[in-house]
Amino acid sequence: MDPSFDDVWAECEDLFGQARQTLATLKVPQPAHVIQASVNALFRATHTLKGMAGMLGFPRFSQAAHRMEDIFDLMRQGRLRSTDSLIETLESGIQALESGLADLRRGQPEPEDYLHAIRRRLGELEALARPTEGAVLDLTSLLDLSPEVLKALSDYERTRVTAVLLAGIPIHGIRVCLDLATFDDRLRALSEAAGAQGELISTLPLEALVDQEGLCFLLLLAAPVLDIQSLGVLPDEALEVIRLADPERVPASLRADPGPLAPPPVIKSPRPAASAAAPQDAEVLRLPAQRVDALEARLMAVAQVRDSASLVLRRIQDPGMDQSMAMMGEIEAGLLEVQKSLLQMRMVKVESLFLRIEPMVKALSRDMGKPVRLSFQGGDLELERSLLGRLTEPFLHLVRNALDHGLESPSEREAQGKAATGSLKISASQRGRNLRFDIRDDGRGFDLARIEARGLAMGLLREGQAHSSEDLHRLTLEPGFSTQERASQISGRGVGMDVVRAEVEGMGGEILISSEPRRGSLVRLSLPLSRAVVGCLKVRCGQQAFGIPLSHVLRVQASPVPLAGGSRVDVLGEDLPMESLQACLGLSEPAEGQRLLVVLRQQGATVDAGLEIALGVDEVVGRTELLLRSLPELAHAPGIMGGSLQEEGILWVLDPEAVMGLAMVSLMQRVAGV
Amino acid sequence: MSDTPLLLHARAAGRDILLPVSDLREVVAFAPVTPIPGGPPGIQGVVLHQGEFLPVLDWTAVEGCPARPEPAVAMAVLRPRLGLPLEGLIGTVEVPEEGWRDPAEGDPWAPIMAGLCQVGGRDLPLLDPDRLLALLHRLRRAR
Repeated sequence: MDPSFDDVWAECEDLFGQARQTLATLKVPQPAHVIQASVNALFRATHTLKGMAGMLGFPRFSQAAHRMEDIFDLMRQGRLRSTDSLIETLESGIQALESGLADLRRGQPEPEDYLHAIRRRLGELEALARPTEGAVLDLTSLLDLSPEVLKALSDYERTRVTAVLLAGIPIHGIRVCLDLATFDDRLRALSEAAGAQGELISTLPLEALVDQEGLCFLLLLAAPVLDIQSLGVLPDEALEVIRLADPERVPASLRADPGPLAPPPVIKSPRPAASAAAPQDAEVLRLPAQRVDALEARLMAVAQVRDSASLVLRRIQDPGMDQSMAMMGEIEAGLLEVQKSLLQMRMVKVESLFLRIEPMVKALSRDMGKPVRLSFQGGDLELERSLLGRLTEPFLHLVRNALDHGLESPSEREAQGKAATGSLKISASQRGRNLRFDIRDDGRGFDLARIEARGLAMGLLREGQAHSSEDLHRLTLEPGFSTQERASQISGRGVGMDVVRAEVEGMGGEILISSEPRRGSLVRLSLPLSRAVVGCLKVRCGQQAFGIPLSHVLRVQASPVPLAGGSRVDVLGEDLPMESLQACLGLSEPAEGQRLLVVLRQQGATVDAGLEIALGVDEVVGRTELLLRSLPELAHAPGIMGGSLQEEGILWVLDPEAVMGLAMVSLMQRVAGV
Repeated sequence: MSDTPLLLHARAAGRDILLPVSDLREVVAFAPVTPIPGGPPGIQGVVLHQGEFLPVLDWTAVEGCPARPEPAVAMAVLRPRLGLPLEGLIGTVEVPEEGWRDPAEGDPWAPIMAGLCQVGGRDLPLLDPDRLLALLHRLRRAR
């Protein structure tokens, strides 16, 4: 067995020891808070074991630990009560994991299921804790829409659909087909007109019918009555109004007992008599974001008080304080959960955005006679709900431009030796403190010569000066450029790019464009994440703790001898450069060198490509989940993407990509002797 | 300029200073600052303020400030979210009727001042938060 894992094995053994001890305390009657603290400790222990097993390369062990973690989680949530029989099962589970780990260390292969002996019992426990049928009420199935369209509804929209139906308000579908050139303005006008009549729940792009041209949208409007005339739909916009859902179809039992949902926010339109009898006791709240901000701030203040209290308790160093410390641990776990829940309220999966783009791409592809292979990546990432709404329109512009002006016609592509079907790839990835969107096509690219000529003609560029490719691409984002020169006259973009830029910059983000003639174009949007929950490896350098996002951690290993920055290390047969984390961040390096190495790999990189580097640290503390807060621009430091408040102070969370860059610079300086 | 009716009179970096109250979010007790490894020049670190990280000015980066300022007792939180350590709070004063005049030539604080105000027979520097931010950006670029 690789001796470099000795520290990890030792920590696993410690964790089992703690788990056994904690389970033993639960065998005798304990006050509720002690039980809760113990279960929290067991949850954390199995969570850490799961991570470590993953790190050691034992996926089945990791799965088994995950299952035990789930049981402790159910206990934490109060969905399973601590009984003698439950504790016995858990003891058997922990014992099975512990002996399994010992076997692994002796070099034995992983068994099929470490928890085989208690599998049936665990299944019973999970069934016992499962929420009752209908606990989460979702009435979106009452909408007269295809499953594909229903899938595009976000959680929030589903909640609103359910809430308005319970309140006795019908939902109307307004289907329109808008002209490609003006759809943005028209959609905005229609949305406003519809919103004036009731609650506009969603605006979904739809696939156009075979005989229709343009872009089709479906507006979901909750309103007692719909006045079609006041929508202001133009004659050629193929208006169709559908009664999508009738509150009469809500099962009577649900109307009488609405479950966890409630009447919607006040809708300005007069309600019919039926709504007066709508259930009032279940409530969905629409809160101003500032209120959640204020709540988060208060929570942070409470966390600060908790930290101070914890420090005071530690200073007392009285064995009798153990119970108080356990309670502090309980408060800490609870606070993190509340903070995460608050954060979740704001977040939505990127997939919601993708689901809105897909039908539009299909419609454009068909209308323009340009077959396109569309692919998405990174739909599981999350972004703030407020950003989702603001991003939809810029994305519509970018996708339309890519298809309209970027991709060539099939015949033109074939003449160039390209596949007749174009490619459009939209990917999302988390890069440091940013969420990055790449919209990449394999079309003709920007015609920089024509952009330059237009820039000169408009006085945006000066004659006789050299203009870089970057400058020229950037020029297409200038407001004057886009409004005075239609995109179709320049082989590329222009229309609405200033709008995209304004919206993205308004979100504190930035937009970058690049292209290669005949190879395609890339539009990259980078949006700052103000906060996120990040799984990190916690390490220490000197007195300072750092978090390294696990997304970039390939491996942790120990060197048999202390290493100084600039050394080479063997990592799984690869010869990698090693740099001290302190050197990357401009801190003083330990004179005695470092033995612990965190191997980082660029996100999305394959084994054969992409930068890998071994980062020397003084101590590896373990895995942890952190509530990350971004650093404001004024305090931005290279290599650091934000911080998280911890008991011992602020823990800095590293931006792995930036740290790898800093490490390379530092290594080059060493070589150059600078 | 005339829409700044009230000024905070405080002591910072060894000098009496004035700050437009309209540029302040609040004044809070000084809390220990957490340094940022490799942090930008002019910023000594951050404190948590209303759940967010607040950058705190490092007076020593401002020309003409003592290398070792006296310990801060309070912090002015500026609207553009920057904390200014203050060594003492003296009170608030109304903007003098005569307004303010340009800083004296050669005053090292001139780049961060809106001007000089006469308060109690003394000329006090009136700080301009926008110029202070511009200075921080210049320091960062120069690094």
